[in-house]
Amino acid sequence: MSDVPLALALALVAVAGTATVLVRDPVRQSFLLSLLGLALALVFLLFQAPDVALSQLAVGTALTPLMVLLSVRKVRRRARDERREEHE
Amino acid sequence: MNGWTAAGTALLLFGAAPAGWAAATGPVRRRVVAQNSATTLVALAVLLLAQGFGRPAYQDPALVLAVLGPAGTLLYVRLLADKLAAGPALPRSLRAATLLNYAAVLLVVGPLCAATDPGRAVLKLLVIGALLALGSRVANRAASAAASSGGGPGGPGGPFGPGEGPGARPGEGTSDV
Repeated sequence: MSDVPLALALALVAVAGTATVLVRDPVRQSFLLSLLGLALALVFLLFQAPDVALSQLAVGTALTPLMVLLSVRKVRRRARDERREEHE
Repeated sequence: MNGWTAAGTALLLFGAAPAGWAAATGPVRRRVVAQNSATTLVALAVLLLAQGFGRPAYQDPALVLAVLGPAGTLLYVRLLADKLAAGPALPRSLRAATLLNYAAVLLVVGPLCAATDPGRAVLKLLVIGALLALGSRVANRAASAAASSGGGPGGPGGPFGPGEGPGARPGEGTSDV
């Protein structure tokens, strides 16, 4: 009954996953990761698993970008401090 | 495949997919706004698909997404505040994205409420619609505030404002070590 939306959601997952691998900038990757999480939640819902979709939404839309962006920030700040110390 | 499922699929194809494309490419300020639109449109598509499959339980992911989507957008605005402040203010087209979200919420939740029997189900739909509209408003206001606060180096900034530029936190670097 849900062939067309399922095919569409699977195509979205394929595109978002491939793009996440191909993009090299971590900040851009975090946006793509959140989109991939949305598409995966949709696939889980269409496979009649709304509970899995719930947990995927909780992880994919908020937690994964938070982890990635916090790590990027920490690494960049450390690199900046080291550069400043070398400069002095 | 009934009309609700077709409408949900069309919303995914012509609403969520372009919003996702806009969130995946382009400058950061457009990405943040488009990410918020993408979560709103996916939640609405989930509502339509739930109605199409005749399973009210499938509305729960839409409710969770209505709460977590704006939270994720606020997270991006907070952690990318320096990049947002470095660019120009949001153009009018990005501000209009909020109106587009409102229109989509009204267009989807209205017919859904008309199609369900009066009672708690309608109340739940109304709560989800109100959360989606409110979250979209909050997230886009935060994004435009973060983008427009970077006009000058001495511009007014809130506690989490543009003061996070390079070298603006003298105490933080030393306390980390």
